[in-house]
Amino acid sequence: MTLLSRRHILAAIGAGVAAPSLVRAQSSETLKIGGMLPFSGPASIEGRQIVQGLQFAVAEWNEKGGVLGRKIELVLEDDESNSTKGVTAVRRLIEREKVPFIIGTYASAVAIAASKVAAEYKVPMLSGGSTGAGATDQNTAGDPWFFRSWPDSNAQGDDTAKAIVNKFKKTKVAIIHDNTNYGVTLAEQVTRVVTGVGGQIVSKDGYNAGEQDFSSMLTRLRGLKPDAVYIGGWAGDGANILRQAAEIGLKAQFVGSGSMLSDDFIKLAGSASEGFAVATMFEASTPNPIGKAFAERWRKSHDFDANTFSALGYDSTNIAIEALRRAGKPDGLEVQKMLKDGMKDFPLVQGPAGTTAAFNEKGGVIFPNFIAVIKDGKRRLDV
Amino acid sequence: MKPYLIGLAVALVLAVAPFVLGGYETNVLMMMLFFVILAVGLDLVAGYCGQFSFATGAFYGLGAYTAAIMSRDLGSPIWLNLPAGAVVAGLFGLLLGIPALRLKGHFLAIVTIAFQTIVYLVISQWTSFTGGQVGVSLPNPAPLTAFGVTLVQLGSLRSYYWLTLAVAVICLLLAWRLAHSRLGSEWIAIRDDETLAAAVGIDTTRGKLTAFIASAALAGVAGVLTAHAMRGVTPDDFTIWISATVVAMMVLGGRGTFIGPILGAVFLVLMPEVLGRLAEYKMLIYGSLLVLAITLMPEGVIGRLRRRAAR
Amino acid sequence: MDLFLQYVANGVVTGSTYVLVAVGLTLIFGILGVVNFAHGEFYMIGGYVGIVAITMLKLPVLAAIAVVLLAAALVGLVAEAILHKPLKSRDATNSIISSFGLAVALQNAALLVMGPQPQRLNLDVSKIPVLSSLPTDFGPVFLPQQRTLIPLTMVILIGVLYAVLKYTWTGRSLRAMAQHATVARLCGVRVQSVAVVTFMVGSALAGIAGMLMSSIFFVYPVVGNMIALKAFTVVILGGMGNVAGAAVAGLLLGITESLTSAYVANSMRDVVGFVFVILVLLFRPQGLFGKAAERS
Repeated sequence: MTLLSRRHILAAIGAGVAAPSLVRAQSSETLKIGGMLPFSGPASIEGRQIVQGLQFAVAEWNEKGGVLGRKIELVLEDDESNSTKGVTAVRRLIEREKVPFIIGTYASAVAIAASKVAAEYKVPMLSGGSTGAGATDQNTAGDPWFFRSWPDSNAQGDDTAKAIVNKFKKTKVAIIHDNTNYGVTLAEQVTRVVTGVGGQIVSKDGYNAGEQDFSSMLTRLRGLKPDAVYIGGWAGDGANILRQAAEIGLKAQFVGSGSMLSDDFIKLAGSASEGFAVATMFEASTPNPIGKAFAERWRKSHDFDANTFSALGYDSTNIAIEALRRAGKPDGLEVQKMLKDGMKDFPLVQGPAGTTAAFNEKGGVIFPNFIAVIKDGKRRLDV
Repeated sequence: MKPYLIGLAVALVLAVAPFVLGGYETNVLMMMLFFVILAVGLDLVAGYCGQFSFATGAFYGLGAYTAAIMSRDLGSPIWLNLPAGAVVAGLFGLLLGIPALRLKGHFLAIVTIAFQTIVYLVISQWTSFTGGQVGVSLPNPAPLTAFGVTLVQLGSLRSYYWLTLAVAVICLLLAWRLAHSRLGSEWIAIRDDETLAAAVGIDTTRGKLTAFIASAALAGVAGVLTAHAMRGVTPDDFTIWISATVVAMMVLGGRGTFIGPILGAVFLVLMPEVLGRLAEYKMLIYGSLLVLAITLMPEGVIGRLRRRAAR
Repeated sequence: MDLFLQYVANGVVTGSTYVLVAVGLTLIFGILGVVNFAHGEFYMIGGYVGIVAITMLKLPVLAAIAVVLLAAALVGLVAEAILHKPLKSRDATNSIISSFGLAVALQNAALLVMGPQPQRLNLDVSKIPVLSSLPTDFGPVFLPQQRTLIPLTMVILIGVLYAVLKYTWTGRSLRAMAQHATVARLCGVRVQSVAVVTFMVGSALAGIAGMLMSSIFFVYPVVGNMIALKAFTVVILGGMGNVAGAAVAGLLLGITESLTSAYVANSMRDVVGFVFVILVLLFRPQGLFGKAAERS
C-alpha cells in the first residue's frame, strides 16, 4: 500500500466517522442507531474494519428508503478498548442520542461492562466483534441483552481443535497464546478438545500481547517436534510468530485463532503464512448464497473484498434494523423481544448456507466455523 | 472560612445535579470526582512535600483490586472495602516511600515509574488471583436494610454518585486539614529545603513517609469507589497513562495550591467528552496542549493567578 | 549446550536494541536530568522512516540508514527545543510531563499518518555489500543476516560513541556536564550545544534501533511504549546516567529474557526484568555497576 492510498483510506474513515454528525445537523427526521467500537487504542485496526460493515448495512437500508419511513443515522462512539470509556459512551448514546440499540463492541471486557449498563436502560447491544464466551454467559438465560450473531470463542476453539485432529490428522500439538482473556480461553478449549480426541499437547506457552521476540521460545518448540502449532491471540502477534518460526525452520501445521483472518495478516506474515489454517465465519468465496450476494454487493462499492469483520458488522446491524422494523417502533425493549425469538427466519451472511439469526437463550447464534487454509496468499475454503 | 463556604456551595450544586442531569452527565461527573480525589492526593506528596510520584495509577489500582477481590472472595460490602482499600494502598505507599528517602528528583521519578509498571504487570498477569486481562466483575450489591425496610438501594448510578460525592468531600476536607496542619508545614519545609528542614529539627523521614502514605491512601479510596461504581475492574484502567494524566491535572492546575489540581482534574476529564466528536484528533490535541501548558505556564493556572495577585 | 548458545545469541540480538535505546536515554538523563518519556517514540519514528525510505523511496540500505540517522537526529533537535531548552532552569518534573505530552502527540500523529496496522520493513540483505557475505551459521548458532546486523550496528555505534566521549572536545564537555553542570559551565562548556548534541545522539541511536528491529519485527504507533519501559529498566539496572552500565545491563537483560522464555516460561520474560529492578532498587539503588554515591 502506498502512502497516498493509506491517506486516502484514513480520510475515508475520517469522513465516515464525521458524516453522521453532519447528516444529523441537516435533518431531524432521521432515526438514530448507536455504534460503539475502538477507533483508537490497540484494537483500532479491527474497529476500523468492523465499522465499515455497520456503515454498509445502514447505507443499504437508506437506499431502500430507511426504516419505518425514516432515514437511518449511525451515531458512532470510540470506546478505546477501555471499560470506563465504554460505559460512558453507552450512556451518552442512550441518553443523548436516544438510540434503540447499540452495535458494539470489539473487546469482550468492555462489552461485558457496557452491556450491563445498556441492559439497565432496556437497550439491547449486538456484538461488534466480541467473541469471548463471557459476554453472553453473563446474560440471564431467556432474557439476554447482549446478542452475538455468531458462535463464541469456545465453539471457535472447538471447531479449530477438531480440524487439527480430524482434518489435518495431527496429534502432537504445541499451543502458543497471549495472556488476554481471548487467548487464554481459546488455549484451554483447544487443550481440552485435542486431548479428548486422543491428541497430545506437547507444550503450552503464554506471551504478553504486543511482545516482539519469540525466537527463543520457538527454538525450544522446534526441539519438541510438534505436528501442529496452535496460536491464540491478536493478528499482529500471530504474524510475528509465523515469520519467526519460518526463520528458524520450525515446520508444522500452523493453526490460528479467528482474529488472524484479515488480509493484513497475510501481508504481514508474507510467505510464512502459506498453509496456515484459521477458523472463519465468512469469506468472500463463502458457499452461503446470502453471503455470496453480500460479498458481490460489497465489492461494487469497495476496492477490497468483504472479510469476517465486514460481515459480522453487517450482520449485527442488519439484524437489529430488521428487528426494529418488525417491532414497529424504535423502542429498546420491543427490539430486544423481537431479537429474542422473532428473527429465527432472518438469514445471515455468515456461516454455512441456511444460517439464520436464531439467537439461543443466552443470546448467541450457533453454527459451525469454516476452516480456511491460506494458499498462494489467499484464504481458501476448498483446500 | 471562605474556602469552606465555596466548597460547600459547590458540593451542594453537585449533590442536586443528578436531578437535573441525565445518567451520562452524572457518569461523567462521577469520573471527574474520582480524578479530583486522585489529583488532590498526588498534590499532597508531590505538590506539598515535593516528592515526585508517577505511581498514582498503581495505588488507584491497588485500591480497586482490593475492593473487587474482597467482594468476590469475602462478599464484603463497600463500607468495609473503603477503609480496606485505603489501608492496602497506604501500606504500598509506605513501601514506595522507603526508596524515596534515599533518592530525589528525577531518580525518584524513575523508581516510581518502575513501581507503577510492576503493579500493572502483576494485576494483568496474575490471572488466578486478579482475573488477568479480563479483571474481576462485581455483582450488584444487596440493598442496605434495617428491620426489613430498604434504606438505600446501592447499585443505581445515582446512589454511587452521591456516595462518591460524600467520600470525595470527606477526602478533600481531610487533605485540606493535613495540608494546613503542622505536618503539612513540615512537608512544605522538606520541599523547599530538605537540608534546612532537617537542620531545624524536622523529622524528614517521617515527613516523607506520611506524605506517601496519605497520597496512596486517597488514591486507594478512589479505586474502591471506581471498582464498585463500574461494577468491576480491568487492568487497563490503571496504567502508567493514568498516572501521567493525574500528574498533568496537578501540574496544569498548579502544584501545592490545593484548588489547582481540583480544577485540573475537572478540565481534563471534561475536555475529551467535549472533544468526543473529534475522536481522530483528540489525543493529538491533548498531548500538544500538555506540552504547551507546561512550557508557557509551569506553575499552573492557579499558581499563575496567585503570583499575579501577590504582585 | 548447542541450544543454550542459540538462546544466548537470540538474547544478544534483542539486548542490542535495548542497549541502543537505553544508552541514549541514560545520556539524556545523566547529562541533562531529563526523564524522556518520548524516547520510545524516537524508536517508532526510526522504524517508520526506514519503511518510507526503503519501501516507498526505494533507497539502498546504506542510504536509508543515513536518512534514518538524519531524520532521527532532527527529531532529537526538535525534542530538545521542546523538552529541555525552555525547561532547563526548572525542576525535573516539568520535562517529564512535557515529554509525556510529546509522546502522546507523536503516537497519535503516527496513528493518523501511518494508520494503526503493524508494518514491516522489507530489508533485502542480499543487496548489502558486507552483510550478504556473512555466514548464517556460527557453529551451532543460526542467525539470519538481518539479525546479525543488529548487534553489529550496536557495537559499531556504541564504539564510535565511546571514542567520541573519550577523545573529543564535545565528548569531554558531555562528561563534564554529567559530573557537575555548574563547574562545567564555569570551565567554558557551552551547555546549550551540549544539550542539543545529547538529544540528537540519543534520538539517532533509538531511531536506528527502530529501523533495524522493524526488519525482523513490526512497527506500529504504540510500539515505543514497551521498548521505552525496557529501556528504563536497563537504565536503572545499569545505574542511572551510566553509559557503560546501560550497555552491559542491556545485553544482560536481553540474554536473561531469552533464557527465561527458553527454560522457565515465556510469560515470565517481561516480569523478570522488573524483578531485577526491585532487587536493585532495594539493595543497590546506584545500579549494578554504579559506585555508591549521594544522588541528588
